[in-house]
Amino acid sequence: MKPRVLLALFIIPLGLIIAAVPQNKTTPFKLSAGELLSEATSRSQFVTPETVAGMIVSKDPSLRLIDVRNPDEFEKYSLPEAINIPLSELLSEQYTDILNQDIKMNVFYSNGSLTANEAWMVTRQLGFQNNFVLEGGLNYWFETIMNPEKPASTSPDEEFAKYDFRRSAGMALGGGGAVQQQSSQPSLPVKPAITGVPKKKKAAGGC
Amino acid sequence: MGPLAVNEIISENTNLFLAFLIGIAFGFVLEQSGFSSSRKLAGIFYGYDGVVLKVFFTAAITAMLGLLFFSLFGWIDLDLVYVNPTYLTSAIIGGVIMGVGFIMGGYCPGTSFCGASIGKIDALVFIGGLFIGVMIFGLGYKLWEGVYMAAFKGFPKISESLGLSDGLFGLLLIIAALGMFWAAEWAEKRFPREEY
Repeated sequence: MKPRVLLALFIIPLGLIIAAVPQNKTTPFKLSAGELLSEATSRSQFVTPETVAGMIVSKDPSLRLIDVRNPDEFEKYSLPEAINIPLSELLSEQYTDILNQDIKMNVFYSNGSLTANEAWMVTRQLGFQNNFVLEGGLNYWFETIMNPEKPASTSPDEEFAKYDFRRSAGMALGGGGAVQQQSSQPSLPVKPAITGVPKKKKAAGGC
Repeated sequence: MGPLAVNEIISENTNLFLAFLIGIAFGFVLEQSGFSSSRKLAGIFYGYDGVVLKVFFTAAITAMLGLLFFSLFGWIDLDLVYVNPTYLTSAIIGGVIMGVGFIMGGYCPGTSFCGASIGKIDALVFIGGLFIGVMIFGLGYKLWEGVYMAAFKGFPKISESLGLSDGLFGLLLIIAALGMFWAAEWAEKRFPREEY
């Protein structure tokens, strides 16, 4: 048998198979349930209200706050510069570019941290990076930033430094700390690093 | 899973090392298929030898089927595989220059190194010309930058522009390649040459 005929007998069936099967569109970037569980239990997705407040006050351009509550709740109150993506709309195609990117640090927030954490779970399972959750949600935000409680006079200095920072941040954001206090600004909490999406690499070709 | 280097399953250095081994194997197979002979290579343009067409199209189809089946089994994410950008003007001009050089010199860039590795003098001369061309292009880049970057079309795939699935386009390409193999063998009988 001629090599050409032999080749044809071999590759035409393969070609028929590949033409008939649907294209595989699954992305291997998805996390397995085990990986997701270990990430969720490590709580590394949470950012503290202090971190977020510090970034808002310093107008950090890498911060993007995403309100995952309903639009009417968002209308009533939202954090400065936040955008509204209700949890039910999370998988809508118009938001993919916002959620799957490597430039900004997205911080989900809701009233507590439950809804925001659900949003994080969904996006993380899709393999998206740079999405975080505001620890404790808006409730904790009000407790800590807007109306911080003065620590007991026997508390260590760090507690006072934290309190001063919360108060000054809260005031800058329109909260209710009454008296301006002279205090050394504690160093801003460390913000999570933005990690890049693996980029397509160049390959040289030619014969 | 794949591409291995992009997904950081293997390091960039391991990737280069594997490329080195594959490159040696590629060169060895090229030489064994007779690609170190400029007269054999030029035969495709005169009809007396279709080995260039057969080897390169068989290689392309094998790689294509391999990638499509790997993608089907979920072993590689084709969205992460690099597709060359298309600059239409420079692709046409470059294709013409490459084709004329191939007919005149009897080699394409890769096979000239294949010929040089077994000491063919015409291959060495061809490589000299290749470096002169690279020098002219590099030193005069400002002159043809406009032409070089013109008509940028992004990263198109033929299957996408035709609206076909990758698999269906693959099947059509296989049929087209087998048709060309048949034509090449017909030409070999029609324009035979005793010794070359």
